This record gives sequence, structure tokens and C-alpha cells, in this order.
Amino acid sequence: MLKQAFAIFWKDLASELRTRYAINALLMFVVVTLAVIMFALVGETLSPGALTGMLWVVMFFAAMSGLSRSFVAEEERGTSMTLQLLATPTAIYLGKLLFNLLLVLALNIFIVLLFLLTMDQFTVAQIDLFWFVILLGSIGIASATTIIAAIIAKANTKGTLFPVLSFPVILPLLMAGISATKIAVEEPMWDTVWPDLQLLGSYIVVVITISFLLFEFVWKD
Amino acid sequence: MWWKLLLFFWIAAFSAVGLVTPIAGSLTELSMIAQWSAEKAIPVKFRTAGEPVSAEDGGWVIRGTDKHGHDADFHFSAIPENAGTRDGYLATARYDTTAHRVEVVEVLGEYPGFSFPFIPGLEERAKIIFFHVPMAWMTVVAFLVSMWFGIQYLRKKDLEDDFRSVASAGLGLLFCVLATTTGSLWAKFNWGSFWNWDPRQTSIFVLLLVYGAYFALRSAVEIEEKKATLSAVYNIIAAATVPFFIFIMPRIMPGLHPGSADDNSAGPVVSSGGMDAIMRFVLYSMLGGFLVLYGWLMRIQGRLHRIKLKRAELAP
Repeated sequence: MLKQAFAIFWKDLASELRTRYAINALLMFVVVTLAVIMFALVGETLSPGALTGMLWVVMFFAAMSGLSRSFVAEEERGTSMTLQLLATPTAIYLGKLLFNLLLVLALNIFIVLLFLLTMDQFTVAQIDLFWFVILLGSIGIASATTIIAAIIAKANTKGTLFPVLSFPVILPLLMAGISATKIAVEEPMWDTVWPDLQLLGSYIVVVITISFLLFEFVWKD
Repeated sequence: MWWKLLLFFWIAAFSAVGLVTPIAGSLTELSMIAQWSAEKAIPVKFRTAGEPVSAEDGGWVIRGTDKHGHDADFHFSAIPENAGTRDGYLATARYDTTAHRVEVVEVLGEYPGFSFPFIPGLEERAKIIFFHVPMAWMTVVAFLVSMWFGIQYLRKKDLEDDFRSVASAGLGLLFCVLATTTGSLWAKFNWGSFWNWDPRQTSIFVLLLVYGAYFALRSAVEIEEKKATLSAVYNIIAAATVPFFIFIMPRIMPGLHPGSADDNSAGPVVSSGGMDAIMRFVLYSMLGGFLVLYGWLMRIQGRLHRIKLKRAELAP
């Protein structure tokens, strides 16, 4: 099963590197969004806490614009039936999850680096905690959006439905993530950030477990 | 038929009891309020413990005992009706901190057999609990039932279960909107603004979003079986993340609702004994009434569904 999962992961990666559909769209999305924010912020002084909110807004909507790709592409190319015959649902879910995880991690690291470079006012008090929260947040976003993407790939209005369905499910993660990032950026204290980290961790476990259980129902026609 | 009438009278009667029962405080609350605002008069109830005596300044003084058994002299500006024979009063009063005496502002009536306690900061507004809390509970119950039938659908693939799941989600959305509106209106008068992003307000907002998205998903899929499966899966995923909002976040974060992390007046939940016995009884009766009301609405939805199926069958 793991072999199958990795095969699907490599297949997605290879086809992505060949077409660069998601990567190009995502890079442009991030650059454009950051440019809009910077235009709006010329001459303004914002606290790092307020910029944290913007960082998460960019991360959330970047994920919304690119992550549904992995499943929607299968439906559009008409390859989902073949995939159903070749691999078990669990392996497919795992492969897609790994691919989305890689995509979100790369994307979020890129966003954060760009954010740190372009926003002079964005200073981080404790950089290791900050990156740890970004890592946990990325895993959470990837795990929640993978199953939602599988659902919307079967619906008619794929593009608009994805953020609508994802937002309420991701919201606990966003709130805990924003609160933890704020603490890491402003005044890092382990006892205040601990509940948020627990929430992030348990969220990831709950969502991945439930996705494993339910993916089969969504996937099989 | 009979149980519908009974339900109607049950809810009407307990609504009436909840709304009409007077709020009455004691000397303890009277002195507490006096420390915050000298002019504010609050409702108190007391039994007469002596004959009316005329005071030097032209008023009247009656010795009274409040519900906790504490005694005080109650000063009236004019002698109340039947002062000699009355055995108790419900009246608005204030504690004069300079003269150190209790002044009765207005006599409201006789000593009430039962009353709700006076809660500083809530007063009459405390009565929302009989309507708002059952609505919020029914929201959660309806969504749990909806998730349960979602699971049943995935197990047995019976479209009847899918229908029950949708019907319950629809009712849950209805109760959710009602709880949000009543709570929001109440918040304007008690907390100063319609929306404060208190953790519980956030959680009900998320519930609205979740079930808005649920119905959006349903309208985006055409094949019945696919629609049922996808919406059941989304229902279960949402129900797995929603407890973060409903049961965890409002408890661990500081907020305005009872039971928040910084709240030390009441217990973690309503039933912890922080609440007056009569209020608790009325609240639980209303909860029971709303539960049966929810069941009734589900039955109506079921009948409507069967009529629609029959019509589709008969249609040429």
C-alpha cells in the first residue's frame, strides 16, 4: 500500500513538474497578493500582530487557489476510473495527501520568506517557534483540503465550492494558527502558546483519521 | 393529536411562567448594588416583621425580613395600602449609603410565592435563558442527529436516511438562526453591541457557515446518490471539527458567556448548581418542550417528503 501511495505521489509530482499548472498559478497568486498588500501599506505602520493576520490570509487563499488541483485534474483528464482500478482508495488518499503536503509546505515557505523579505515591519521574536507553527499549519491545511478537494471534484461547480466548503472546516486551524503565530511574533511564552499547539496537533490527527475513514465513500463512483 | 395540544400548552405555560415570574432580590444584593450606583433601585421582596411606625421625616418605617432571614427597616415615603394587615411586599428599593437605610421607591405588589433571584448585571434580561439556551441546544441536537443519519446513509445506502439527515440539518439551521438572532439582540442590551466575537458567538457563526456550505454542496451535485454520499461525508467531517468550537474553545478561551475560562461566578455548565432551583426547573421544562417540538417538526418533514414522493410517482 505504501508502495502504491508513493507511486501516486511520484506520478502527481512528475505530471506537475511537466505541466507546472499549479506551481505557476500559485507563484503568480502569491506575488500578486503580496504586491496588493504592499501597495495598500505604503507609508503605513502596522504591528507585527496585524501582519500575522495578513500572512495567514495569503496562506489560506493561496491554498484555496491551488490545492483542489490534484483531484479535479483526475476528473478533468478522465483518469479517475483508471486510478480506481489500479490502486486502493487508502493508497490514493495517502499519495494525494503527500503531494498536497509537499505543495503546501513549499508554497508556505515561499510565502513566509517573501513576507519576511518585503515587510520591514514584520519582525519575529522567536524564529524557531514561528517556523514550527507554520509547519504545523501547513500540515493541517493540507490534511483538511485533501478530503474537501476529493468531495468537490465530484460536484458541478468545482472552483467556487472549494473555499466555501473548506473555510468552516479549516477555521479551528486558522484561529489556533493565527493565535500561535502572534505569540511567536510578539512575545514568545511557552505556557501561552501550548494550548494552541495542542489544538493544532489534535486537529491534524482528527482530520487525517476521519479522512482515511471517509475517503473510500467519496472516491468510489 | 393530544400530545401536540399538550406540547403547545407545555411550551406556552412554561414561557408564561418564565416571563411573568417576578425577579426579586434580597438585602445582600441591595447593599451590593449600592456600592456600584447610589441611585439604582432594584426589586426586593420581604415579609413584614412589625407594625408600621411613622418616622421623623414624615415617612413610614416597616420592619421587614428578606428571603435569607435578614432583618432591616424599610422606609416608605407614604404609608402603603393596607399596611397594617399585609404580610409582605414586592417592591423596588435602594440602599441609601449616607443615611444607612433602605428606601422603598415603589411598591409592586404582595410577597410573591416564588420568584427568580436578582442577578446583578442581568436583572430582567436573565429570562432569555428559557428561550435562547433551548434553541442553542436544539441546534446541536439537530446537527448530531443529522450526522448520525449521514453515517447511517453511508452504511446502508438508504435514501430515506439521507432525507432524514437533510431534514434535521434544515431544522438545525432554523434553530441556529433563531439562537443567533435572539442572542445577538440580547447582546445589544446587555453587552452593548450586537456582535462581540465572544467564543460562543464565533462557534454559532461557524455552525451557520458549515450548514450553509452543506446546502451549497447539495445544490451543486445532481445525481441523488452522489449528492447523498458527498453531503453525508461533508456532514461527518464538519461534525468532527465543530466540537472544537462548541465544546472546547468556549471553555478554554476568555469570553462573555457563562462557563468561559475567566468566568468564576457560575460553574462550567448551567446545571452545576450555580443556578436557582426554580429557574433550572423552568429551563429544563423548556428544553424538554423544545426537544418534542423538534421531533414534531421532523415528523412533519417526513410526511411532506412522503407526499412529494407519492406525487412524483403519480405524475405522468
